[in-house]
Amino acid sequence: MAQSADHLVDQIAQLNAARNLVLGDAAFYPQIVNGVLPIIGSRARLELRRWGAEFLAETFSSPALASTQKEQLAANVLQAQREILELPEGDPLVLKHIVQSAASLYPLVFRHIINHPRDGAMWENMTAIKQGILRRWDSFPSQVKICCIKFVQRVVQVQTHGPIADPRRPDQNETSLAIVPRNHPVLSLPNLEAEASGLLDRLLSALQEESSDPILVNATLNCLAVLIRSRQSIGNKIINAIMNFFPARQVRPPITPAVRVGVKSMERTARAVLEHIMKRNANHPFFRKMEQHVDRLKNSRLEIVDDATRKRGPPAEPTDGLDKTKRTKLDAETPPLVKIPPLPPGPTSYSQLFTLTEDAEASRFDVKQLPPDLLVNIVVPILARVDQSALTQSIDAIRMRYETIQKRQAAQAPAAAAAADDDDDYEPEYQPMDVAEPASEQADAVAAEVAEIQPDLVSLGPFVLPQPPPLSEAEAAEVGRSAVGRVFGMLAASAVASNPAKGKNQQQPGFARLAGSTFDRDAWVTLLTRLATRAPAGLETGTGKFGQDASSRGKATISNTIRETLYRYILEDFRGRVNVGIMWLNEEWYNDRVQMQFTASQRRPEDEEATVPLFYDHWVLRLLDGFLPYIDSRDTKIFIRFLSEIPEVTIPITQRVASLAKDPERVNLCVQSLLYLIMFRPPAREICLNALEHVYETYEESRPAAGKVLAKWRPKAAQPQHEQQTTLASRGATSAAPVGSA
Amino acid sequence: MRVTTRSASNNTTTTTDNAAAPETPSTSTTTTTSSSSETDSYKLRFCTVCASNQNRSMEAHLRLSTATPSPFPVISFGTGSLVRLPGPTVTQPNIYHFNTTSYSQMYEELMAKDERLYRYNGLLNMLDRNRNLKWGPERFQDWVPGLPRVDHVAKGDKGARGTEGGVVDVIITCEERCWDAVVDDLMAKGSPLNRPVHVFNVDIKDNHEEALVGGKAILELAHRLNEAARLERRAAAADWENGQGEARRNFDERVPEILAAWQEKWPHLPALWTLAWL
Repeated sequence: MAQSADHLVDQIAQLNAARNLVLGDAAFYPQIVNGVLPIIGSRARLELRRWGAEFLAETFSSPALASTQKEQLAANVLQAQREILELPEGDPLVLKHIVQSAASLYPLVFRHIINHPRDGAMWENMTAIKQGILRRWDSFPSQVKICCIKFVQRVVQVQTHGPIADPRRPDQNETSLAIVPRNHPVLSLPNLEAEASGLLDRLLSALQEESSDPILVNATLNCLAVLIRSRQSIGNKIINAIMNFFPARQVRPPITPAVRVGVKSMERTARAVLEHIMKRNANHPFFRKMEQHVDRLKNSRLEIVDDATRKRGPPAEPTDGLDKTKRTKLDAETPPLVKIPPLPPGPTSYSQLFTLTEDAEASRFDVKQLPPDLLVNIVVPILARVDQSALTQSIDAIRMRYETIQKRQAAQAPAAAAAADDDDDYEPEYQPMDVAEPASEQADAVAAEVAEIQPDLVSLGPFVLPQPPPLSEAEAAEVGRSAVGRVFGMLAASAVASNPAKGKNQQQPGFARLAGSTFDRDAWVTLLTRLATRAPAGLETGTGKFGQDASSRGKATISNTIRETLYRYILEDFRGRVNVGIMWLNEEWYNDRVQMQFTASQRRPEDEEATVPLFYDHWVLRLLDGFLPYIDSRDTKIFIRFLSEIPEVTIPITQRVASLAKDPERVNLCVQSLLYLIMFRPPAREICLNALEHVYETYEESRPAAGKVLAKWRPKAAQPQHEQQTTLASRGATSAAPVGSA
Repeated sequence: MRVTTRSASNNTTTTTDNAAAPETPSTSTTTTTSSSSETDSYKLRFCTVCASNQNRSMEAHLRLSTATPSPFPVISFGTGSLVRLPGPTVTQPNIYHFNTTSYSQMYEELMAKDERLYRYNGLLNMLDRNRNLKWGPERFQDWVPGLPRVDHVAKGDKGARGTEGGVVDVIITCEERCWDAVVDDLMAKGSPLNRPVHVFNVDIKDNHEEALVGGKAILELAHRLNEAARLERRAAAADWENGQGEARRNFDERVPEILAAWQEKWPHLPALWTLAWL
């Protein structure tokens, strides 16, 4: 025996040396593999068979050995492995490695047969090994079963249609049904496809069984990803199978720590597979579903496994005979006592009366939030299952409280009790105070008072408020002003609150919008401007021809008050409120037009002259005069916006703009504003050009900038000054150099 | 060829033991256990993984490769995109490339930059440990399983003996993120070897103290797993020799309960496991 053991050790040592040789240089593989095959065959000792099986598994999976060489080696190896398998082999480790080799060999042999249909013996050996593995799959010990799963996955992968990377170069394509010719003499497409379909079902059955073994499930899940990725035809089926798999559902007590490890691992692996797919294909049709499933997996584990272990049930027998709390739980004779918290001091409300829980959150919950039908659905099953003794105790407790309160109240307010005698069974006979008052004495006093007054109150008829005394004109104006003041207050308040959020989450309704319907700052501005312009239209025509007249006479009308306030409001922060100004002036202009039309239509031939007060012209100039002194060269954008959005540009306006050029700092602002109007407001083009010409002639600083504009828009005006301009060029260059854009 | 002569001599000792107990078949049949001097020398092959292949995975690498009575074959990797080491401030980490920068290089560089700082925060100490274990940090995603690693043995990497075939039986990550990256990457690689591999995660905080504790815990897990695997080989052999159907309990099947028992002992290192494919 010692002799043979010695011999065996020598052999293994030699084999290890051979293995080291091929690991160092893969070129020796053919030589070594063919050399060791006779030593490790079916009749060899277990140790040699194990070594051989592992070595062959390593050989055919090695990335160092080219697949063409593997194909050449396959013929002899298949024969040897088939013999070992059919002996039949009983050692799980040998079997494990044989199945591993088979998984590596199957695609190689399949490809070989596609190209060499005559090599029937090889295919026959491969098929025999496949059938042997499939036949014994279920009876193998689990370490072999794992490898069977992998083998079957390879078979499915080969026997389904894969992608064709390049039809002209078949050697570049992955081994799959897609590269099998339709009329192949050995490989029959429909049969292979049918077999793959059946095997896939068998593979996925690991996820559908009642009691799932984490080893097999994880082995299955981890090899499915490649099928989903590379086999479109079966991908969705596999994803569905994974998404219908809930490891935690099949957990039955007792939940041992090992079961917990298993469930957690299956859930995490299922999640990993789905995340793997989602990461690589964000446009997958099942993306949303997978995302939801991943979330669900995260939660389900927490609920079932963790909860089941964290909240242990009562112990099966008393752990401590002296511990009363534990004994009462197990004792069926005495039902558990419901804890009745004492009522809070002071007057009691209905909700306090019926509240038995001490959980502040629960008592604050308003049941009225739930729809009645839902409540019925909740309450009826609860009532059916509620603990009888707990219910009785609770009802008794409430009754006790109720009677106590009733007695107390009867003593305090006999009259009240008498007044509301039992005409309705459900009506309690005491007056609950829903608003608890601090001092109970005060409450008593009030209760007594109420009791005394009550009979008189009942006899009173309907109450009608007397007409208020008529307001004088001054009073009405005062009230109006204060109302306007309040609306401006709203404006200031909502400006802070709603401005930053605006435009982001608010969709712009465009023309369909209803002015003033959003209740933000714009809405109040709309309200104010219309109040100023339209509301009193036609009422004030008699009092004054112009707003100016009215205010000068000290009898400010309400609309002029609003205008004045608006004017001041805008001037307070011209830069931030320019849009308010624009909105207002547009309203004014529009109202002026409406008034003119109206007056024209009402005009009778005998009226000599019908006049309409025009507010726009007056207020636009006032506003301009108001902020022009403060505007500086950095406000170009705001100023141009203002000029471009006001409804009408008049000569006085252009004169005001032109006056900006007096200040050398603001020459550019002036020229640019005018240029903008010239370019984009054709109706105002002529008057703006006139203004610009005036600027050009009057202010030397403007000449370089204005000259360019005029040269383009009114060449003849710029021409005569040309010589003069060149003489001034040295001076002008310093002040107007930045205006290159004009 | 030095390797071969060594293994031959080792196996000679095995022979004497087997001669004393002839009924026990030798279990030193695997090709990977050549350096062991023990009788029952079967060893699972391990792979430790953390983010940068510096602290946690290397501490575990050290523990496993210096285990008593005999070292485990072990390789180690990082799953990050780059090797990140703390720098003078949080926003100035020292960044190196995987696979192309050696621990020695990093050691020299940090030493030159600010010896006091990196001595104080333990980086130099760590790099010094690492450079005595292997050449440099390797990236998990760049690993080609099954590609021979004979050169690592020649270079003298600790724990390299037994990993010549470039395969492992167990992967242990030190952070759930790394576990996700490893499982995902194994799926992406498409399991060309058709070889099962147990992938564990042992959650360890990334500091020197926790790495020490974690390394110890990982070593214990390794011992427990290896014991189960060793018993399997022996039981399976006995089963075959005696022709009886006992000892059906194999290593793979026992992994969840081994992990559960281990977890009871190390409750503050939350663990996770799956069976994946190389």
